[in-house]
Amino acid sequence: MSDRALAHRIACDLTVVGAGPAGLFATYYAGFRGLSVTLIDAQPEAGGQVSALYPAKTIHDVAGFPGVSGSDLIAGLLDQASSYDPRILFGRNAVDVVRDDVVSGLTVTLADGTAIDSRAVILATGVGGIRPRTLPLGHGWHGRGVTYLVPDPAAHEDEDVVIVGGGDSALDWALQLQPIARSVTVVHRRRAFRAHAASLTRAASQGVELLTESEIQAIHGDSRIRSVVLRDAQGAEREIPADIVVGALGVVTAPAPFAAWGLEMRDRKVLVDSAMQTNVTGVYAIGDVSTYLGKIALMATGFGEAATAVNNAAVLIDPDLSLFPGHSTDDDAGAPLDATPGQPE
Amino acid sequence: MAYVIGKECIDTQDHSCVDVCPVDCIYEGDRKNYINPNECIDCGACEIVCPEVAIFPARKARSDVERQQFVADNAAFFELPLPGLAEPLGDPAGAKLRGHVSADTELVRAWPQE
Repeated sequence: MSDRALAHRIACDLTVVGAGPAGLFATYYAGFRGLSVTLIDAQPEAGGQVSALYPAKTIHDVAGFPGVSGSDLIAGLLDQASSYDPRILFGRNAVDVVRDDVVSGLTVTLADGTAIDSRAVILATGVGGIRPRTLPLGHGWHGRGVTYLVPDPAAHEDEDVVIVGGGDSALDWALQLQPIARSVTVVHRRRAFRAHAASLTRAASQGVELLTESEIQAIHGDSRIRSVVLRDAQGAEREIPADIVVGALGVVTAPAPFAAWGLEMRDRKVLVDSAMQTNVTGVYAIGDVSTYLGKIALMATGFGEAATAVNNAAVLIDPDLSLFPGHSTDDDAGAPLDATPGQPE
Repeated sequence: MAYVIGKECIDTQDHSCVDVCPVDCIYEGDRKNYINPNECIDCGACEIVCPEVAIFPARKARSDVERQQFVADNAAFFELPLPGLAEPLGDPAGAKLRGHVSADTELVRAWPQE
C-alpha cells in the first residue's frame, strides 16, 4: 500500500498505536480475527524499545524461545503481524485520540494531519516515543548545524565537525567523518570515554581530537554555526571553528500526553480493566504503557494482553463475533509458513 | 526486576550511567547513585557503560548477600525518608527534574571511606 500522498483520512476496524512486541502481536491477532488494521509507530522501523535499546541482547523469557536476539524476535513478530496485510504507517506520530459517541467511533490523529477512523484503538506505546537526547545548547540551532544524525557523511567534506558524547556512536561518527572533514573534535563531559578502546585508539591515531571533562559552553554563528566555545574541567575556555555539532548523547523516552486525551492514569500508566479497556470505550491499552492490579511489565505478559484486548475489541466492533477466537491452527486463510514480511509504507 | 548499583559506585560516581539512561531513573546521592526500581525499564544500558562495573540486574543478586543488600538499599533510597528530607523521594519521574539529592541511605553513609 502506498497511499501516503492521499492518506488524509483512513478507515479501518482497529488502529494499533505502537509497533513494539505487544503492538505487533496485537496486529497479527486482529488480522486473524478478520479485522482490518492500521499499525502506527513514530519510529521509522518496528520494534520499539527492543530495536532502540537492545537489538543484540539475547532474550530468554519469551515462550517458545530458550534464547532469541531482540532483532530476530522483532523480525519474527513483524513477519507474523504482516500475515493479514495491515496498513503499516511507520515514522508517523499519533497526537490525539478522540471518541465520537454519536457514531461510536474513534479517530486517531497523526502529526501530519492524517486522521484514522476506527471502531477500536489499541495503545501499545510502551515507554513512549524514543528520540535522541538533545544537546543542552542545541535549542535554536537545529537546522543551522546542530544535528543528531549524520545520514550523509560526504556532505561534510572540508567542514569542522564537533561531536558531543562519549559512547560508541560518538566514536563511530568521528571515524566516519575524519577522512572527509577538515577536523573532528569529540567532546565528552566525563573523565573517560565509554566507547570501545579499539575505536579510541584508531580515532586518536587518525587525528581525531578527543576531549574529556569538557563541555560546549557556547555556540556562535549566524544563519549557520561558525564556532563553539569549549570549557575544560579547570574552567579554561577556548573557541574552535565548527560547521556542525553532532549530538551523540543516546536516546530518551517521552510518554504521550494520555491524560490530555481523557484517559485515566495511575502511576503514569494508562489504567485498564480485565479486558484491557481504558475508561474510554473502545480504547484499549496493552504492554508497558498499561497498568492494572498485579501488572507485570514483561513481553510475555504483553502478548497475552494483546490477545485479550483484540478479542474483546472484536466483539465491540462486531457484536455478532464471539469473544473466543477459535484456534489459529484451524485457520485455512492464515498465512503460509513462508509468508514474506510486510514493508512499511 | 530492575538494575541495581552496588558498592563500587560509592565515592566514585562516574555518572556515565546517568548519561545513557533513556528514562532518567538514576538519581545522584551524596556518595553514590541509585536506580529507581519502579522507573527502571530493565534495558541494561547502564550496566555496560559503568567503568566501575558497579551495576547488575537484581536477579543476579540471588546468591550474593552483599548484592542483595544493595538491591534492598536502592529501593530504600526512594521508599524511606532520607536524612534532611521531610518526605521519601518516591518516584519523581526523572532525575533531572529532581536534581542532586544531598543525602544517602544508612548503608551508604556508614560505608567506610577508602
